[in-house]
Amino acid sequence: MITWTHFIFFALPVMVCWLLAVLSVHLLKRRGWAVVLSLSGILIFAAFVALMWIGMERPPMRTMGETRLWYTFFLSVIGFVMYLKWKYPWILSFSLIVASVFILINLLKPEIHSKNLMPALQSIWFVPHVTVYILSYSFLSAATIAAIILLYRYRKQDPDTQLAAFTDNLVYIGFGLLMTGLLIGAVWAKEAWGHYWSWDPKETWAFITAASYLIYIHIRLRESKPKRFTLWLVIISFLFLMITWKGVNYLPSAQNSVHVYSQ
Amino acid sequence: MQKENPGTGSTQKSWWQTPWAYKESLAIVTGLVFVGWLLQINIGVFNYDIIRFPVNVVVFACVFIFVSLLSLKPKVPLFNWLSGIPLSVSTIAALLLMSLIMGLIPQVPPAAHSHSLTGFDAVTRSWAFVLVYFLTIVNLACVVARRLLHFSWRDYAFYLNHIGLLLMLMSAGMGAADLRRYVMYVEEGNTEWRVYNDDKEVLELPVAIKLNDFYMEEYIPKLAVIDKNSGDAISKGKPQMIQIDTLQPTFNIAGWDIEIKEYLHEAIRNSDSTYRYLPMPGACPAALVTATNRKDNTAQTGWVCCGNFAQLYMTLGLNEQLSLAMTRPEPKLFRSDIVVYTESEKAVSHQLEVNKPLSIDNWMIYQYGYDVDRGRASSWSSFELVYDPWLLWVYIGLWMFVAGSVLLMWEGNKKKGNKDIPQVNNDDVKELNNNS
Repeated sequence: MITWTHFIFFALPVMVCWLLAVLSVHLLKRRGWAVVLSLSGILIFAAFVALMWIGMERPPMRTMGETRLWYTFFLSVIGFVMYLKWKYPWILSFSLIVASVFILINLLKPEIHSKNLMPALQSIWFVPHVTVYILSYSFLSAATIAAIILLYRYRKQDPDTQLAAFTDNLVYIGFGLLMTGLLIGAVWAKEAWGHYWSWDPKETWAFITAASYLIYIHIRLRESKPKRFTLWLVIISFLFLMITWKGVNYLPSAQNSVHVYSQ
Repeated sequence: MQKENPGTGSTQKSWWQTPWAYKESLAIVTGLVFVGWLLQINIGVFNYDIIRFPVNVVVFACVFIFVSLLSLKPKVPLFNWLSGIPLSVSTIAALLLMSLIMGLIPQVPPAAHSHSLTGFDAVTRSWAFVLVYFLTIVNLACVVARRLLHFSWRDYAFYLNHIGLLLMLMSAGMGAADLRRYVMYVEEGNTEWRVYNDDKEVLELPVAIKLNDFYMEEYIPKLAVIDKNSGDAISKGKPQMIQIDTLQPTFNIAGWDIEIKEYLHEAIRNSDSTYRYLPMPGACPAALVTATNRKDNTAQTGWVCCGNFAQLYMTLGLNEQLSLAMTRPEPKLFRSDIVVYTESEKAVSHQLEVNKPLSIDNWMIYQYGYDVDRGRASSWSSFELVYDPWLLWVYIGLWMFVAGSVLLMWEGNKKKGNKDIPQVNNDDVKELNNNS
């Protein structure tokens, strides 16, 4: 029977595969190798999850360590699929590295016993809600960096339409992930707290963030070359996103938020 | 072109000359917000009760007829403006600014029935918010209508996103008027149909609930070293609390090596200083521990117990200032075994838990609370009953929007140049050329 004690025998090969995948995509520029290596890692990891599921006769979703297994799994799978689709090397390396960090945490600080998760947080929507957001943040961070580069080049009178199209694409993908995460959250909220949208401070800021990106997307529909104002919108939207993620906890309006957890 | 304010669109066109673009849209939305504030100051917050069913249905039927009539004459400037991107951007921007107020200023709950003159502490009930929300719905309906006039399967992602959002905005808006939520308290063995609303008034519902049994599980409690005088956990500001774990029975808290010799999840006091296992109401966790000081190797052994409504707590004195104490256990799961009787003469048995509500007719029933002082021995359970006849439409819109979002991340921005913009009429193309 496969249990946590066997985790290291799966975890190390997975991380080696992923490390080699990251190296081959960045240093050796071998796309094929990267694809095979990432996929092998994902399959070995999936095998561990499946065998543990069979061994425990219940889905491994109950403890913090088990939850991290799913973070690792979904981050690597979605990152891999996004890489196949969009061919951005950084999205593959980002998702595999973050996925490996969750593996490392499981190896170094295994919380394999039931975690004190309050009943409302014990939901099948928890993992997808969080994973989709992590990936959304990565795309929107990349979009912000691209917008800053574009603004910088503006001064040099060097409009880069290719980079502008790339920025648009990153915002579209990041926004799609953001909305998916938000709506999954709404479904969960209906099940746990009785309403799908209650203008909880975190929800309010999520709305502000979404509205801001939405303005960017709509303004860009009518621009061939982004104006400075439009590029600033990407940066401002990202600031809103950061407030939604971390800043909300420090606002006076958030004292009773369901999203503020004591750490 | 460089100096032009990007928010205001074309510079060649004078004010209010059609087609209206950013200048006019922003002006109208600002005007609407201003009108909202005048109403706010004069007659107070918007009362959602006035758009309760069937008024909300009539209002949306009117919107539907209005948009349909406009669609018959798609070249009318009004339709062009109502279905244009400048208006969409302006309404979204207005909603964004109002949400910023909401996100920065603490909001009063609706039940408080009090708010400031400006309505900044009750934004979702302010006239300005409601008016802009309504204009957003009209705008979105016109956008959808305009695309449907030029229907193309290629636009499936657009339809999913925009129709999904429209359904969500409409049914959530109607839901805000028709939604009712109540709390019901039921004693074990009793049947209850009286509930409390947000104003703590007692009402009778057409739904009755019988509570057969309340069941609860608690997490294993934690241990902490506390100051005997203040009761604060050590170290101050960064209290160390470690969960008891029989598989890893030794650990360290604040310089003390703790060894768990025995742990009883359901214990009662056996003598002055000992405990024994006995599962019964009023039993609580207790542990026999040895604490050894790392510096001077002094050791203390004894029972600690967190106590509950029936039993006193027990701490283990470590030295003159410090004691070892057990925290109250946190709830892991609570469940009510209930039978729900409805007006339609249904009798449904259900195990109600947090995150596992029961949906029956237009009601959703949630596990809400229990007697926290008595914990597992609680003799009653409380339920939240939410009536939302528009929920189905919210969900249809929501899953359409999810599908649209997944397509958005799958397809990204397909736009190459301006090819994908629907070129509805010549005015539009002219405006486009002016802008770029």
